Amino acid sequence: MVCDDFNKNVFINCPFDDDFRQILIGIVFTVMYFGFKPRLSLERSDSAESRIDKIIELILESKFGIHDLSRIVSKEKGEHYRMNMPFELGIDYGCKKLKDGQWSTKKILILEKEKYRYHKAISDLSGSDIKHHNNEVIKVIQAVRDWFITEELSRGHSGNKVWNNFNEFGAYLYDEVVEKDGHASTEEVQITEVMYHMKEWFEKYNN
Amino acid sequence: MVKKNTQHVVKSPKGGWAVKKGGSSKATKIYKTQKEAIDHGRIIAKNQNAEFYVHGKDGRIRQKDSYVRDPNPPKDKK
Repeated sequence: MVCDDFNKNVFINCPFDDDFRQILIGIVFTVMYFGFKPRLSLERSDSAESRIDKIIELILESKFGIHDLSRIVSKEKGEHYRMNMPFELGIDYGCKKLKDGQWSTKKILILEKEKYRYHKAISDLSGSDIKHHNNEVIKVIQAVRDWFITEELSRGHSGNKVWNNFNEFGAYLYDEVVEKDGHASTEEVQITEVMYHMKEWFEKYNN
Repeated sequence: MVKKNTQHVVKSPKGGWAVKKGGSSKATKIYKTQKEAIDHGRIIAKNQNAEFYVHGKDGRIRQKDSYVRDPNPPKDKK
């Protein structure tokens, strides 16, 4: 399988719950900021397509993978921790290590809320360079920015500059969806719609 | 496309809260608390007839006020 956008595609594997929403938006924004294309399982909602097939297709089509393991610990007694993220990281890692050709060039960024917490849950990752963000958008933007610079770009706008632009996009999004489209808040809007506005914002302001 | 005349209160990466003009990469000034930044940012927005956005620490808009001067104000008919 050959995908024309392979070298620009970034598979984003992270929680889609409300508490994580703004961090997800920060990751997607930073990916687009540096000229890459975010790929999420949310991008299609064909009920006839199985979720795992969709995930595998996204992994095969993406050179880059960003995996957030912040939900490896359940918040309340009786709540199940979520295994989708480590499972999908495993598929991406296997794709890089076991397939030849372009897939061997894959790059993977692993994020977690707390430093070293993953050691207890997935000790196989000991020795891997995992970045923690403490659930702060500002830190996740910096981590994703630094990763692209180290792995691919060599130089680029500072994390501070990306953060400032992220805030300006937040104001633009508010104007578009609350003032123009009549939503009660920006939280009402689906991630795919946020991504539409993000694309428009980058095109309008050429950042 | 030209960006609107805006002023923003945003979390500073180095700590504190910044007042920043829209489109500028540098803060006008950084304050210890968000309240101080809001008070001073609002004065700047009023003086510059700007739209004033207060962002939360995650970048979301908490409040917006417009101080843009109406180009066609209602005329006094007396």
